[in-house]
Amino acid sequence: MARMKFLADAERCIECNGCVTACKQEHEIPWGVNRRRVVTLNDGMPGEKSISVACMHCSDAPCMAVCPVDVFYKTSEGIVLHDKDLCIGCGYCFYACPFGAPQFPQDGAFGLRGKMDKCTFCAGGPEPDFSAAEFKKYGRNRIAEGKLPACAERCATKALLGGDGDVIADIYRRRVTTRGRGSEVWGWGTAYGKPEKQPAAPPPGGKS
Amino acid sequence: MHDNLALRWVMRLSIALVTVLLPQFALGTEDLAKQQAARQITQPLNNAPMWREVRKGENPYQTTQVRGVETNILIQTEGQIWREIRNGPVTIYGGWLLVLVVVALGIFYWWRGRIMLKQPPTGRLVQRFTPWERLVHWGTAISFVVLAITGLTTLFGKYVLLPVFGYTLFSWLATLSKTLHNFVGPLFAVCAIIMFFTFVRDNIWQRGDLQWILSAGGLFTGRHVPSWRFNIAEKFWFWLGVTFLGVAVSATGFILDFSNFGQGRLLMQLSNVVHAVGALLFIALAFGHIYLGTIGMEGAYESMRNGHVDEAWVKEHHEYWYNEVASQSRTAGGVPSTAPASAMKEGWKT
Repeated sequence: MARMKFLADAERCIECNGCVTACKQEHEIPWGVNRRRVVTLNDGMPGEKSISVACMHCSDAPCMAVCPVDVFYKTSEGIVLHDKDLCIGCGYCFYACPFGAPQFPQDGAFGLRGKMDKCTFCAGGPEPDFSAAEFKKYGRNRIAEGKLPACAERCATKALLGGDGDVIADIYRRRVTTRGRGSEVWGWGTAYGKPEKQPAAPPPGGKS
Repeated sequence: MHDNLALRWVMRLSIALVTVLLPQFALGTEDLAKQQAARQITQPLNNAPMWREVRKGENPYQTTQVRGVETNILIQTEGQIWREIRNGPVTIYGGWLLVLVVVALGIFYWWRGRIMLKQPPTGRLVQRFTPWERLVHWGTAISFVVLAITGLTTLFGKYVLLPVFGYTLFSWLATLSKTLHNFVGPLFAVCAIIMFFTFVRDNIWQRGDLQWILSAGGLFTGRHVPSWRFNIAEKFWFWLGVTFLGVAVSATGFILDFSNFGQGRLLMQLSNVVHAVGALLFIALAFGHIYLGTIGMEGAYESMRNGHVDEAWVKEHHEYWYNEVASQSRTAGGVPSTAPASAMKEGWKT
């Protein structure tokens, strides 16, 4: 089974924010919630670089480990998803996440943040595929349609790659060979450096 | 030989520290940006200085168009440390600490039993707590218990309650817990502050307190040890529990409860660890306080429930205070006990 990963090529990103727009449009995400963002390093200086970042779907996901109600689960393709019906909005996943991926729709006075929202790798949530409830809570399920994430698909310079980890690593390796230098794969050590946490067997009978 | 070994370890540690810390001091963010600019000319496509900066996350020229808390930071590594501390020692040792305290109190109860009065009650009542003091105490106490139960649900519920209740019911419980915790928390902070000013006068160090410490209050021997209005164990609970841990837990609680002020993740992680450790110690101490205030000692609960205690109880547990109260009422020309009839009726039952 393919292990789904994101890869951001800093040499190619032109900071157009097309991925951010694609994500917002694809999933009809409300104002104030940004599942993906582009960060520019050394902005306005020689050697400026940009990187698109969202949930990286980590092997040993910290959000999963700290969640007090265990809302996270992992698909057989390594995609980290969560159940919004169970989320209590405590914000612990946001404290733990290295990439700042978890988003909350409310401002957080008295701890009222609303239910957490994050990148789903365009794989929806626990609701039945293509259901209205799934779209409302998690956005479109492109993986079930046989497509890859909208952000990577629409990246104009193919700086953002999303898909089977082996395939995108090969693409990147070819680029590095052609360029001659610059082999850093941003964030992969943090996201995928740890041993893979096997997806837990679904609880008998599903939700109780 | 041992000295040699120790010395070697100290040297190894300092070398390791210097190796780790020196580059941090030597290379400021500006330097790294300049280095990257220079590297761009000499070795195009070698981005090593830039990648070092990403980890540091302090570059003022690191920007994004997305508004929000720390959105311009690419990787924050502190989250992983917070996770290891919270899911590790805080959960494991904190959980066992509470179990241990409950077991220890159980053993103490089995061995010592309920501490009873030695003299028969006189029937004369002395006012120990005014209605205001009781109001403050119970306001703090009830909010504390609500916070303790809901807080423990958040920390241990995943391991203890979730397997029993299942996902849907536990999520409902956890939502209730979180909401209660976040709204009762500020109430507790206010109550604890009022409590400090209400009781601080009688919780300062007094003559004779040392003797009480040295004999551990006669808790294990059953010997009579005189004390003032509050003995040292009560004063310890007041200063370490209500005051020190109360402030620590309230201050960090406010930081966590009001994230709308845009505080960063590092502050929240630190607050969460201090909050959890402080609260676990607070709960462990509270177990002792609640034990002695209810089943552990005859007459203790009634003193806070009704405000009045029997003269015999005061003489046995707080003799110095008894003498003080008795002499005061004698100079005022009355009998020491002036309890209302209602308190007589339900107050002291033997």
